Amino acid sequence: MSNFNLHGLSVSNGIAIGKAYLLSDALVEVEHYSISKKDITKELKRLKLAINQVNKDLNKIKKDFFKINHAEFEGLINTHLMMLKDRSFNDDVLKIIKTKKCNAEWAVKVQLDKIITRFDQINDSYIKERKLDVIQVAERITKALLGRSNHLYVKQLDNNSILIGHDISPADALIFKHNHYEGFITEIGGTNSHTAILARSLNIPSIVSIPLARALIKNDDVVIVDGDSGTAIINPTDQILNEYESKKNLWNLEQKKLSKIKNFKNKTLDGNRIFLMANIEELQDLKTVKENKADGIGLFRTEFLFMNRIKLPDENEQFENYRSIVQSMRGKEIIIRTLDSGADKMTVADTKKSSNPALGLRAIRLCLSEPRIFLTQLRAILRASAFGKVKILIPMISSIDELKQTKLLIERAKQSLTKEKIRYDKKIEVGGMVEVPAVAINANFFAKELDFLSIGTNDLIQYTLAIDRTDDSVSHLYNSIHPSVLKLMAETIKAGKKYNKQVAVCGEMAGDPKLTRLLLGMGVENFSMHPSSILHVKKQILSTNISKLKGLINKIMNTNEPEVIETLILKINQKSNE
Amino acid sequence: MIKKKIKIINKLGLHARASSKLTELANKFKCEIKIKKGNEEADAKNMMDILMLSASFESKVDVTFSGIDEKKAAEEIEKLFLNFFGEGE
Repeated sequence: MSNFNLHGLSVSNGIAIGKAYLLSDALVEVEHYSISKKDITKELKRLKLAINQVNKDLNKIKKDFFKINHAEFEGLINTHLMMLKDRSFNDDVLKIIKTKKCNAEWAVKVQLDKIITRFDQINDSYIKERKLDVIQVAERITKALLGRSNHLYVKQLDNNSILIGHDISPADALIFKHNHYEGFITEIGGTNSHTAILARSLNIPSIVSIPLARALIKNDDVVIVDGDSGTAIINPTDQILNEYESKKNLWNLEQKKLSKIKNFKNKTLDGNRIFLMANIEELQDLKTVKENKADGIGLFRTEFLFMNRIKLPDENEQFENYRSIVQSMRGKEIIIRTLDSGADKMTVADTKKSSNPALGLRAIRLCLSEPRIFLTQLRAILRASAFGKVKILIPMISSIDELKQTKLLIERAKQSLTKEKIRYDKKIEVGGMVEVPAVAINANFFAKELDFLSIGTNDLIQYTLAIDRTDDSVSHLYNSIHPSVLKLMAETIKAGKKYNKQVAVCGEMAGDPKLTRLLLGMGVENFSMHPSSILHVKKQILSTNISKLKGLINKIMNTNEPEVIETLILKINQKSNE
Repeated sequence: MIKKKIKIINKLGLHARASSKLTELANKFKCEIKIKKGNEEADAKNMMDILMLSASFESKVDVTFSGIDEKKAAEEIEKLFLNFFGEGE
C-alpha cells in the first residue's frame, strides 16, 4: 500500500486515526453492502415496504395540498406517484437486488444512475428537467428505507471509521450524527460552509475541499486526519503512525486539562462576569451543553426539526420538542430562534429553489410569506415559555417594517393562546439577529425596538464582504476580522449599550478562542457557541484583564489593514495578564 | 392487433403529466400497448419509458394494441390523445 498525503482545508481541530469508509454520490449518502442469498427476500420486502410508505406519504401530501387547491403541486405529486409505481422503481430495482445481491438502498441508487444517464441523452429540455423528479422519488424511497431501519442502513460503523464523501449536507450530517465516527473528509466545501460548522459541533477532526478524495482513497485504507493542518495522510508508515498516535494522546490530555476549569465562574481577571452560552440543534445536543457547563442556550436552531421529512411538524410536535429542551435546562435561559430555512439549510418549508438562495426567500422572509407556518411555530414556542426562561430570536431581519410585521404575528399568537386559556410567558423577550449589514448600520433603531440583539457573524461577514460562504473559490476572501466587519460589530455593541439591551455574539467568531480577547475588549459579555468550544473560550476569559486591552483595541478599531489587525490580535493574545 | 397512427396535438407533448395520465389509463387494460416514435419504442404502461420517447408537439407516434381488450383500449387511448390529455390545449 502506497503512502501519500492530501491537503485540504481544516474545519475542525484535532487528530483522528482510522479506516477509510467511502460514501456514495447520491443526494442521500448510501452505502453498498452485500447480502446473503437467504436475505434477498427480506431485502425485497424492505423495498416494497419503503415504496408503500412513500406512496402513503405522497398521497397524504396530495390531500393536504388539495385542501388549499394547489393544482400545479398536485400535478407534480401525481407525476411522482406514477414514477413510484413505475416498473423502473419496482421490477427493475427488485431485479438488481436479486442479481447483484446488494442492499435495497444501493439498488435504488444503481437504478437512479441508469435512469439519469438515459435522461441526459435527451435533447428536449422539458423532459430533461423531469430528471429532478426522478431523483426526488429515488431520494424519498431511500429515505423511507433509511427511516425504517437506520441500523441496517449504515452497517454499524466501526468505531474508528473516517467518512470520505463528496459533500455532507446538513440534513445528511444529522443522520450521521447518531453514528459514531472518528473524522471526515469531503471533496468540496469551505471552512465556513454549514457542513464545516456541523463538523465542529460534532467535535471531530475534519478536512474539506480535497478534490477526488474518493478516487484516491480506497475503502479500509488507514487514514490520519490532521485537523490542525488540514492534511490527510493515507497508509502512513509505522513511524508516522506512532508519531501521530502520541500527538493524539497529547491532544486528549489537553482536553482533559481543560475540563478542570469547568466549574469555575466565568469571570475575567478584573471581575467581569461573562456569559458562555451554547448553540444547539436538537435535544441530543444537551448532553455536551451540560458537560461543558454552559450558562444557557444562546441559540437553538429550530430548522433541524424541519429537515429530513416531507411534512411540516405540527404545533404539538414542535411544542413537545421545545418543552423538553426548556425543562431539561432547569430555569436557565433558552433563546429559541424561529425557523431559519433556506440558503444552505433547505427544509420541508422551502417550496421554491431560489437562484441566489442566500439573498432569497429565507428565514424571517419565508416565515412572513407563510404566516401559517410561522404562527404554528410561534404558538409552540410561546407554549414552551410557560416551562422555563424562553426568549424568541428572529433571524435575518433587514428592516423595521419586517420587525413590525413579526411583532404583530407574535401578538396574534399570544392572543389566540390567551383566548384558549393556554399558559405562556406574557413578558417573553423578542430579539433579532444582526446578520444583514442594514441592521448593523442602523443598529440604534433596532436596539430601541428589540429586547436584545445577537450578532450572527457568519452571515454578517458573508453579506458585508459579498462572499458566498458555500463557494470555495472565494473562501480565501472570507475574513472575520475585516475592518468593516469589526466596525459593524462595534456599532451594534455601542447601540446595545446605549439602550441598555444585551448584545450577544453567536456566530463562529464567538467560539474561536483566538478571537475571545478581541471580543471581550470590544465589550462583548455574552458569547454563544458550539458547546464543545466553551471550555477553550473559558480558558481565555479566565486569563484576561479587559481593562488592559483598551490601547490595543483602539489601535485595531482604527486600522484599515487586515494584516495589521492580525498582528495586533496576536499581540493581544500574547499579552500577559497581570 | 390494432395499430393507430396518432399525432400529438397538445403543446407540451408527452410531458410528465400527460405521460402519467397515459400510463394510468394504459394500466387499466390487460392488452399490451406499445408506442413507437421513429426507431424508439416504449411500453405505454411504463411512464419513464414514455417520457424518454420525448414525443413533442406535432410529432407522430404509432400505437399498437394487442390482447383481449385491445378494441376498448385503442378507443380510449386515442380519445385521451385527442382530448389534449384533458388539459385543454
